[in-house]
Amino acid sequence: MKLATSQITDADFQKFREFFYRKTGMYFDDSKRYFVDKRLLERVEATGNEDFRSYFIALRFEASGQELQHLVNAMTVNETYFFREAYQFDCMVNDMLAEICKRKRPGGRIRIWSIPSSTGEEPYSIAIYLLERWAQIDNYEVEILSSDIDTTVLQAAQRGVYSQRSIQNLPKEYLQKYFRRLGDNEFQISRDLIDAVDFTRCNLSDANDTRRFRDIDLIFCRNLLIYFDDLSRRVAAEAMYDALCPGGFICLGHSESMSRISSLYNVRRFPDAMVYQKPLDGDRK
Amino acid sequence: MALRKATPPDAGTLAPDRPDDAAGWSLLLQDDSPAVRAEAAAAMATWPECAVTLGAHLLDETDERVRQALFTSLTRLADDQAAAALLPLLRSEEPRLRNGAIEALGSMPEAVGPRITTLLHDGDPDVRIFTVNLLGELRHEQVLPWLLHVLGHDPAVNVVAAAIEVLVEIGAPEHASALRAARQRFAGDPFIGFACDLAIERMEAA
Amino acid sequence: MSRILVIDDAATVRMYHRKMLGDAGWEIEEAVNGVEALEKVMNQPRDQPFDLFVCDINMPKMDGYAFVKELRRQPQVAQAPVLMVSTESQTHDATAAQDAGANCYIIKPAKPQELVLTAALLLGDVAAANKAAAVGMQGA
Repeated sequence: MKLATSQITDADFQKFREFFYRKTGMYFDDSKRYFVDKRLLERVEATGNEDFRSYFIALRFEASGQELQHLVNAMTVNETYFFREAYQFDCMVNDMLAEICKRKRPGGRIRIWSIPSSTGEEPYSIAIYLLERWAQIDNYEVEILSSDIDTTVLQAAQRGVYSQRSIQNLPKEYLQKYFRRLGDNEFQISRDLIDAVDFTRCNLSDANDTRRFRDIDLIFCRNLLIYFDDLSRRVAAEAMYDALCPGGFICLGHSESMSRISSLYNVRRFPDAMVYQKPLDGDRK
Repeated sequence: MALRKATPPDAGTLAPDRPDDAAGWSLLLQDDSPAVRAEAAAAMATWPECAVTLGAHLLDETDERVRQALFTSLTRLADDQAAAALLPLLRSEEPRLRNGAIEALGSMPEAVGPRITTLLHDGDPDVRIFTVNLLGELRHEQVLPWLLHVLGHDPAVNVVAAAIEVLVEIGAPEHASALRAARQRFAGDPFIGFACDLAIERMEAA
Repeated sequence: MSRILVIDDAATVRMYHRKMLGDAGWEIEEAVNGVEALEKVMNQPRDQPFDLFVCDINMPKMDGYAFVKELRRQPQVAQAPVLMVSTESQTHDATAAQDAGANCYIIKPAKPQELVLTAALLLGDVAAANKAAAVGMQGA
């Protein structure tokens, strides 16, 4: 049975839009009507609700927040691939690292934490960016730590085999330099890069896991917190705050914001990106 | 120099003298270092009996990170003791403490539930506003009757406004007449008129 | 055209302020709390900064006072006037508002004429101020 999108009324859409904006910070303007209606109706059906109204009441009051997470999943694009949201990597090599290095002696250690690692696209993208686009790479020791709650995904990351879709944003010269073709749709990343990244299991809600990460200069935590409930997001944001050095930076996904999570971080705007920063010691709130 | 692989230390090797009971962590809440205090506050979320200590410590703590940890832990506990520890902060002179308590309590509607009736009759309109906002998150068969009572009887315009705000989202056609009555009760107030019209429009179109 | 950022956690209040101020001819953007407001400030184009903030006091994550204090600590962003919107019982906080760096406050729920006139004066929009004052005299 095909559901007609006209079943979501204007009032329904506005109610949903306000609720979703309040909870997640994501705002759908009127031009996104078709996109939203389609997915809403799919969720109404999937949850066995008769109509939007009964679905909305169930959604609003669900203690576990699970349906909201399903909804967030439905409304966002979840694909992972190399150089996804690369403007943040540009920000890293153009601005953030320069500030970080002001606090380091020559040859000093810089720690970057990428979480979730998923199947490795993000930490390896960071590695490639540093090697290819950061002029100072030979003057510092950079440690890339990457984590995920799911060990099967960590294992996949350490195998480092990717599809055409995953590598399609990579400049040809990087592809040739860092990957070898295994098969029709399989490319493996170089051993050197696999060996350069540390992969460790970590549950951001578990203090026993997160306390192992300290003195981090830069965290990439993109498109993860958006799938958490309010409390877990807070716990995670606070755990990452503790992991950071004073003055350390954290990047969230492009449609995510600390405004629904925590007021601990300062907002910093660089030409390439807006990021969050743990206050420097003298600057504590 | 360049990329170097490094593995984070095992949890076991880190500060092996870390406490393993509520009393031990409670002592660390007095530590000079805000990082230690924050860790203690976070650790205490494991023990429900810590709610009283966490709440009491909020009154003295000036470091923002530690404050957040205290509030987050109380939010994680989300039980009757945690609610009891937070409620007095609603009357704090300090906006950060007051708003932190409002936010924490707002995340534990069930724990606050038994106290709603008392809170809805509090002499302080700000406390009543907070309570009405909380009703928007509470799963309880009395929520709509409580909201309608506020609409019909609360003397403070901003408390009534808060009730209308909730009804904009969860109201049903049968609430339209109560909204019209509130509109009438505050006939001189353009905002109440605007908000009632909006709520009625939303529920009748549904 | 003047740009106003309306900051309030209540959607109906944002809509009301948007309607009153939008009808006066100004461009309106919204934020639900102080953190989101700061993000919007950080993202404002250099040639199109916000010209006025209309800001609630009690908001989750970051309240109105904390927002103004933080805003005033950012000399690299254009500093626009701040109109605090407070409840009757918060008026004893008027000095707190001033200390934080706000320019003035009005009591909520705001009457349209008072809101528009005050905004017009803070924006230096003489035409809008005259128009709002004229409406006020008619309605009195």
